[in-house]
Amino acid sequence: MLGSQQLVKAGSCCTLCPAGCELRQVKVGPDSWRIEPAETGSAGLCPRGSTLGELLAHRKRIFWPAKRQEGRLRQVGMDAALAALIEAAGDRGIIVFFDANLPCEQLARADACCRAWRGARLCLVMEPADRQMLLGAEASGADYLADDALADCDGFVVIGDAFAANPRCSRAVFERRAREPRTPIVAIDAACGTAAKFATHVVQVGAGMEFQALAAVAAAAGVDVELPGVPAAGDLASAQAAGRAVAQCERLGVLLAAEYGRSAAWRQIGYLAGRLATARGGGLACQTVGANVLAALRCSANFETINLADALADTSSVRVAVGCDVVGMLGGAGGEFLAAAAALPNQTTAAAEIVLPLALPVEVGGTVLFSGMQEAEVEPVVAPPAGVPTPAELIGRMAPAAGPSPPGSPSAVCLERLAAEVPGDAASSGPAAAPVLLFARQAAHAGSGALTGHGSWQQAARGPLDLRVSAADAEAMGVSNLAPARVAAEGRSVPVRIRVCQELADGIVVLPGGMPEARALAPCRIDSATRQVVASPVTAAIET
Amino acid sequence: MSEAMEKRVLVDLDRCIECGSCAAACYYSHANMPAVSFARAGWALLPMICRQCKAAACVDACPAEAMVRDEFGVVRRGLLRCIGCGSCARACPFGVIPNELGGTPVGCRSPEGLTGHQVAKCDLCEDRTASNPDAVPRCVAACPSGALQFADERAAEELHLQVVGGRSTADHLFKRR
Repeated sequence: MLGSQQLVKAGSCCTLCPAGCELRQVKVGPDSWRIEPAETGSAGLCPRGSTLGELLAHRKRIFWPAKRQEGRLRQVGMDAALAALIEAAGDRGIIVFFDANLPCEQLARADACCRAWRGARLCLVMEPADRQMLLGAEASGADYLADDALADCDGFVVIGDAFAANPRCSRAVFERRAREPRTPIVAIDAACGTAAKFATHVVQVGAGMEFQALAAVAAAAGVDVELPGVPAAGDLASAQAAGRAVAQCERLGVLLAAEYGRSAAWRQIGYLAGRLATARGGGLACQTVGANVLAALRCSANFETINLADALADTSSVRVAVGCDVVGMLGGAGGEFLAAAAALPNQTTAAAEIVLPLALPVEVGGTVLFSGMQEAEVEPVVAPPAGVPTPAELIGRMAPAAGPSPPGSPSAVCLERLAAEVPGDAASSGPAAAPVLLFARQAAHAGSGALTGHGSWQQAARGPLDLRVSAADAEAMGVSNLAPARVAAEGRSVPVRIRVCQELADGIVVLPGGMPEARALAPCRIDSATRQVVASPVTAAIET
Repeated sequence: MSEAMEKRVLVDLDRCIECGSCAAACYYSHANMPAVSFARAGWALLPMICRQCKAAACVDACPAEAMVRDEFGVVRRGLLRCIGCGSCARACPFGVIPNELGGTPVGCRSPEGLTGHQVAKCDLCEDRTASNPDAVPRCVAACPSGALQFADERAAEELHLQVVGGRSTADHLFKRR
């Protein structure tokens, strides 16, 4: 599909992040499997990948369609469930929220079905911050770097907690540092995540100010940014020191992870990061939630899809979610769903009237674009259980049930780089009053943790949620290390344990674990000016 | 003795990104009895893995003779003999025998819990490493950052690595740079 690049037979590999770790399947019972790392070597397999084997035969796996009656889900047949869906939709339009992190063939088939399905519109769902970041990266024209290629870089800028988003990308950084100990590693992360611990230069950045910090680093590195709305470098000493280090690099690797609830400026950050990397002879490594979201973004240019913000703003149509936990991803802001198809229960299935079974990502094979530049044909680990459809098969059954003409051949997939527009001014919501609540990523979970949260290790190893607080803030609040407390925002609260963190900036508190509950403290909203879904930093209250 | 068993799991603390890959790989492959746990030191979490002591205190402390050194030199816990008393966990000078995970006794979670309560113990993934000299324990294979290595203990100093366990911990371990 790329034309100039070879299609790689990748075997079975994890598609929950761009690393694409090999999955070695071990059958341990008649209907149970486990996923193991390779026997020799050290290819890596993070907790998300290790969990996938257990999920294949998880005790909560959804095998049968169910319809909510008197508040309880009752098992029905697939035909009855689809008939109930079509009947409930009536003459209203239908918006299909479809998981964007699926192989290209699944996306193309879904588009073809929705085109033939009268009144249906397709929305490819990916993390809103990831989408903005990728649009900016595409517009920048920067090269994309796979994990292995990062080892050839002689300097790194890490934005957000890229090491938690894709643990394997850290290996290349460390390999380079082992060869050349003076390799600059610049961390721009207001929550002081994993990468900040290994950085030679930590840019002191306020909540939601990553764009300004990156602009200051780029300016100090002598890069002509040419982007409207870029602030002056100012007197951010840490950024200037980082910029001087970056200026010495001949091949700069910029690792990007768009963190939830940080900023509305991820598009500008993606663009600026790409310009900075290109100016220093390097490239971008975008650590997205899901390996194939960039391909989905490129495909959507040729598909008839609608924006997530427009889909959420349309309250007259009924909503059907296929493979994605829209409600959990948006912090509970997804609204009502008529039907939700998923392999395991999530917040969207909990809100839906009709629940449908669906294949797991590891049960679906097809073409995946890893790291924005490596097109690979991924094989499923196992076939889906009998009666459990793949996402495209499910849409293929829904559409004829509505009575249209059968869909034609799948839509053409084009993975050529998008001709995205240069982003405009960065929307600024202004700094929130202290303390500002930020969210950090967990390497154990993909996205909001809807899928991997079912893993027994994830549940067993999970202790109380730690709320990281700076020493000065802890003293001002009158809380001590390990003290129990509650953190509240937007009318909701969760119990936490205070963890005093010397490295954290004053005025910022960080909730590093428990993304499924945590996102509810800062739900997404639709930005009326840009028509984008954003989650901005919120003011938190600490109750002891 | 197998050549592979001369090796130990070594950790480079300056590479550990606390992702938990080692613990998860161990957990899912050892019937939900994880032999890799984490210790917190200030801001950091450290993977704690058995160092297979030559004079193993856990073997001496076990009242049921469940802890034995097998023919490959690996200290193992006998599944049928372990009564889950936790003596080995308390005797271990390095605190690397996990007695609980997330506040819950791990022994209670074992589906193979023939005696109802057992203690998890690293066996260096003998099912892999005893037969294949190139194989590595699952925690090492899973480590995405390259922090864990399966190497001869004598090479640790040359590799600038610390043997896991028995290491003094202090705040700001990663501030060395």
